[in-house]
Amino acid sequence: MSDELTIWERPVHRRGFVAGATAAALTAAGLGRFGAADALAAAEAEGTLFYYNWAQYVNPKTYAAFTKATGIKVKKGFYDSNETLAAKLRGGARGYDLVCPTGYMTKELISEKRLLPLDWSQLGNVTKNVDPKFRRTSDDPKGTYSVVKDWGTTGFMYRTDKIKERPTTWKEFVALTKKYSKTTMVDSSPEVVGSIATMLGYSYNTENKKELDQVKKVLLDLKPHIVALHSSNYDTLIAKGQAWMGLGWNGDGLALAGKVPAQYVVAREGGEIWIDYYNIPAGASNPDAAHAWINFVYQPRIAGLETSYTYYGSPLKRSLLKGTPAGKLLADKVVFPPAATVKKLETNQVSANGKRLRERIWTEFKAS
Amino acid sequence: MRPRFRGLRATGIRETADSRLAHDNRGARAGAGGPRYPGWLVLPAVAWHVLFFLVPLGFIVATSFGTVVGFSDIAYTWSLDNYRYLWDDVVGELHIYRDIFFATFKLSIIGTLSTLVIGFPLAYYIARYAKHKTLLLLLVIVPFWTSFLIRAYAWLIVLDPEFPLFRALGLSDFVERQGILFSEKAIYIGVAYNYLPLMVLPLYAALERMDWSLVDAAQDLGDSPLRAFRRVTLPLALPGILAGSLLVFIPLTGEYIIPVILGGNKTFYAGSLIAQQFLESGDWPLGSAIAMVVIGALTIVLLVYARALGKQEQFG
Repeated sequence: MSDELTIWERPVHRRGFVAGATAAALTAAGLGRFGAADALAAAEAEGTLFYYNWAQYVNPKTYAAFTKATGIKVKKGFYDSNETLAAKLRGGARGYDLVCPTGYMTKELISEKRLLPLDWSQLGNVTKNVDPKFRRTSDDPKGTYSVVKDWGTTGFMYRTDKIKERPTTWKEFVALTKKYSKTTMVDSSPEVVGSIATMLGYSYNTENKKELDQVKKVLLDLKPHIVALHSSNYDTLIAKGQAWMGLGWNGDGLALAGKVPAQYVVAREGGEIWIDYYNIPAGASNPDAAHAWINFVYQPRIAGLETSYTYYGSPLKRSLLKGTPAGKLLADKVVFPPAATVKKLETNQVSANGKRLRERIWTEFKAS
Repeated sequence: MRPRFRGLRATGIRETADSRLAHDNRGARAGAGGPRYPGWLVLPAVAWHVLFFLVPLGFIVATSFGTVVGFSDIAYTWSLDNYRYLWDDVVGELHIYRDIFFATFKLSIIGTLSTLVIGFPLAYYIARYAKHKTLLLLLVIVPFWTSFLIRAYAWLIVLDPEFPLFRALGLSDFVERQGILFSEKAIYIGVAYNYLPLMVLPLYAALERMDWSLVDAAQDLGDSPLRAFRRVTLPLALPGILAGSLLVFIPLTGEYIIPVILGGNKTFYAGSLIAQQFLESGDWPLGSAIAMVVIGALTIVLLVYARALGKQEQFG
């Protein structure tokens, strides 16, 4: 029950509040742009991997197993949005060996030449174990710079014990938000603007000014009913009962359902399907260690360990996951949505101009 | 440090001492009397200032006239577009940015006033009556040893209706109804708490130097305690009030951690707006332009402050 859950509880989600805290602290200390990576890079000895990632996105057991198997120590840093990660890399931060941006950001980083090409001779497990359909994606058609880490969906989750309705669409989500004023959302313009666009029957990636104006109108109407905008602890708020519904990611939804009565929904109108990739930034100090990590986690047993922790879809061949800790999740429709669900989802493909329009909407939404 | 004098005669002596000090200062400036220091001693300070203040400021100015190309590249086009965008907003119908600037100003003013109202009696008590001054001052400073961030997060626990103390007292429902967490109220509580030491310390410094016999004298000569406070204590404490207000007001104009953590990240202030442009939107030019507007507004406030201080010194 919510009463037993406290703020101290370990939040299980892809984009944990440690990240927001770290980013805020570093920025507060004036280190936001260069400090973190440089400071740590300076202290970096051979045999250390600096893994800059979403918080709670790696099974803690995997770190230990990796260090035991390879002798490489792992230094961790966390971010809570693709944009924060990109701001660091664009600001000239060096020393991050491994990062996990979402597809659209991987694409941007490739086009800006901020990534190192992978050495596939060091990635035997990927070649052997990853489902071929995940080897070539539209974000990186030749698979030069990236390996799929996880994939998932953006939808909404709600407390089945607090809300008697059983919403299945964005329209109902919006209506219930207005009814209860107990909704949280991730602090991320692509997801929120895109989801509302699909509700209105437009593309998740619409750049049409008129369509976006309508999206803005819906959002401004919703604003007074929003509890908080946190990519970090939005699911913790729902677990604690401070919010009853949330717009966010499937893995968080399933983790939430493991703690309190809750349900994650891919809205009937559609929404986002996303893929996160392993990338090695151009400023990496130890690319070999990054390769070692990627190769290590694509052993079926380790991949299963990861999926059983993050609740996000693994790109491994399904057959290899049987008998791993993730085996029982293979039939779970939240972790591995059926093909019919996936078909109506879109990946984030917003252009630079579309992004600017969305950011302005986002600013108005947050400022209103 | 400073000798304490008793009575009116002693005050006279104090004035003499002060004027001698002032004389010495004049001498030093004129190059006669007092120790002389070689001019190059200022070089480290100047270098530091140029390197870490003027150069970065130059970058911000240059960036604010730039434009974004593609997703994030900055072209230094020397265009006024960002400022025009802000200006159009300020005079326009929607005026989102104008509202944000006003909200920031309001936050800074209320934050300053609330820390002053809470901090003044505390500083007054420590300076005038407290036996264990060092201990009390230490207690004011100790929270600073904890990260600002953690202190803000701590309030998430305290303001939570499910906070064990509220539950034990049966107050959970009451607190829930107040809707404090993730509201402006929570932001103001967080601000008052986090900025209080910045106000108390300069106030204490000013009050501690005060010669309380002046208050006694005023009352001996017929002033009521309130009048003595207004005519003697307050003017003498004014430098501390101004210094403390400045220390609280200026960082508050850039505050964004507390609104993010305690306000639920749904109320924008200038600080969060700038952070948003840099970290999320990738629009450094617009972020820089907003920063320049804030710097400009602050400069005006500082000029007013300098005038107030100048006047104060004439009388003080």
